[in-house]
Amino acid sequence: MKFDDKVPIYYQIKNYLYHEMMTGALKPGDKLPAVRQLAVDLTVNVNTVQRALGEMITEGILESQRGKGNFVTMDEQRITQLKEQLVMEQLERVYEQLHALNLTDEQIIASLKQYIAQRGQRDDQRVSD
Amino acid sequence: MTNVLAINQLTYKHNLKTILKDVDLTLETGKIVGLLGENGAGKTTLMRLITGSAKGSGTIAVCGDSVATHHKSHISFTEQLRGFKPNTRIDRVANFYRTVYPDFDGQRFEELITFLQIDTSLKLGALSKGMKEKVVIALTLARQAQLYLLDEPFSGIDSMSRKRIISSIIKWKPEDATMVISDHYVSEIAPILDEVVIVKDQGIYAHKPSDAIREEFGIGIEAYYESLYERGVKHD
Repeated sequence: MKFDDKVPIYYQIKNYLYHEMMTGALKPGDKLPAVRQLAVDLTVNVNTVQRALGEMITEGILESQRGKGNFVTMDEQRITQLKEQLVMEQLERVYEQLHALNLTDEQIIASLKQYIAQRGQRDDQRVSD
Repeated sequence: MTNVLAINQLTYKHNLKTILKDVDLTLETGKIVGLLGENGAGKTTLMRLITGSAKGSGTIAVCGDSVATHHKSHISFTEQLRGFKPNTRIDRVANFYRTVYPDFDGQRFEELITFLQIDTSLKLGALSKGMKEKVVIALTLARQAQLYLLDEPFSGIDSMSRKRIISSIIKWKPEDATMVISDHYVSEIAPILDEVVIVKDQGIYAHKPSDAIREEFGIGIEAYYESLYERGVKHD
């Protein structure tokens, strides 16, 4: 995995694991690889992996079972919550950047609708090509 | 958390020239630390002082022991194998290590040799720079030490070998051991560093956790390192 050196690595590891969960590569109840294996797979420090997993355990996304390892929570509600949180974080970024361009809320909504419509057409074209 | 290394007021002069002055440095167990600085800043000198190969004033305690002659038993240091003749086979060198260092683990060495794709029947004189560096890393990591000192393990080697060496560090560094890796080119090892120590102006110019640098300044380790040098440039 390629990391952005400007962003704390533990934060990027968390985001990587969140995405694995959102795409279904990691399902509720799945066991995570051992800490050192994760560190080797991602080419990062063992301590950094431990910090990322520790925070995810505190957040209730992962469950640590003594002597067995770390598991994705079976709490579907918590996963839905996480998905909402990730979506909100992305929207917040887009919203703030568009606001910084002096767009009103109405203009932001209109622009987004226009973008999605255009994007849909473009993707359809690509499929028919 | 306990300290694997505690340096107090260390000063080292060579031919009346001060190389390091009043250095204080403490490292905790279980960390990977990047020792950064320009060529000639004193990184190798600092490592030689820690192992006890060079002598300065001040105190250096390794695992709480400040007797310099005891340090080598706690420390595994990347030696450049200059003491061996070019026609010595790698497995002969490994046998020598096995005899000299009681903590040399033959099983670990075998695993490292396989992982780093080293042919131990080759002679030292026939090795490319990258292959020789991999041999040095295998010998160094095969010891079960508390402190590992890797002096510029990535200089002048191809990116595939570099990736293998980085993976072997993550795989084989004992959990409680601390590893110091010196380099003047940081970007490739930045993701594996817990902390960075920057040697500049005859001393430790900065000592910070890597993720704290990213959080505090919003910049990468390399950019941070370079910024310390830019600040030092006189504009007159």
